[in-house]
Amino acid sequence: MHDHSKCRELFEKLSEYIDNELDSASCDAIEAHLQNCPPCQSCLATLKQTVALCRELKSSSMPQAASHRLRTMIEQMLVQ
Amino acid sequence: MVARYERVLYNFGLKMCGEAQDAEDVVQDTFLNVFRYLKGFRYETKFKNWLYRIATSTCIKKKRKSKFAPDRELSLDDFLPQDEAAVENQTPAWARLPLDQVLNEELGRTLKTAILELPEKYRVVLVLRDIEGFSTEESAQILNLSPANIKVRLHRARLFLREKLETYYSDYKHG
Repeated sequence: MHDHSKCRELFEKLSEYIDNELDSASCDAIEAHLQNCPPCQSCLATLKQTVALCRELKSSSMPQAASHRLRTMIEQMLVQ
Repeated sequence: MVARYERVLYNFGLKMCGEAQDAEDVVQDTFLNVFRYLKGFRYETKFKNWLYRIATSTCIKKKRKSKFAPDRELSLDDFLPQDEAAVENQTPAWARLPLDQVLNEELGRTLKTAILELPEKYRVVLVLRDIEGFSTEESAQILNLSPANIKVRLHRARLFLREKLETYYSDYKHG
């Protein structure tokens, strides 16, 4: 019989699980539950992918004119 | 120092404020404050953490002049499936595919918009942890919060973004 009360417990800890911030007993309990719970497997996979996508977001360069203004401002500040 | 941190601070400002002009102001004001308070910098604090502490407070000050998402609490219950029918029994394709097959320009824009829709106290934690790569302890130090608080905010922020991505893919499938 599947224990759905465990789903909520797992749901609360998923980020800590992804970040390896749980003790080994908690990790074992989560992994045992995951084996027989497709909705929790899906929840974990989608959350993991969300984190991975955030980490892969492209960064932008500061516009050259703004960069130039910044350096000029700092040079002036250092002279004073 | 400027060459090393200009780009990262600009991107931090962009993720936090959304507008290029605000991000430029964040970089400028952060460096101004760094030079102003450099004498007071305590070497037991990592310089990068101190720099982000200043940048964060600069972003928060900008909030009054900028169009930020309204402050509200995100509850864990908001993200729990409302009924059995809403439970996904199978992992959706977007979560199974390699990142390079999923992340395109449009999804990148969707994700950046979703980050800006996060209430600020969740957004700043998500940006520090999942984009800038700070640890829980470092983020706690930067924001002067407990590590437990960082974990709670981060989890809710991630669930918020996950929901936005699910909506994006479900609209995509049905549109």
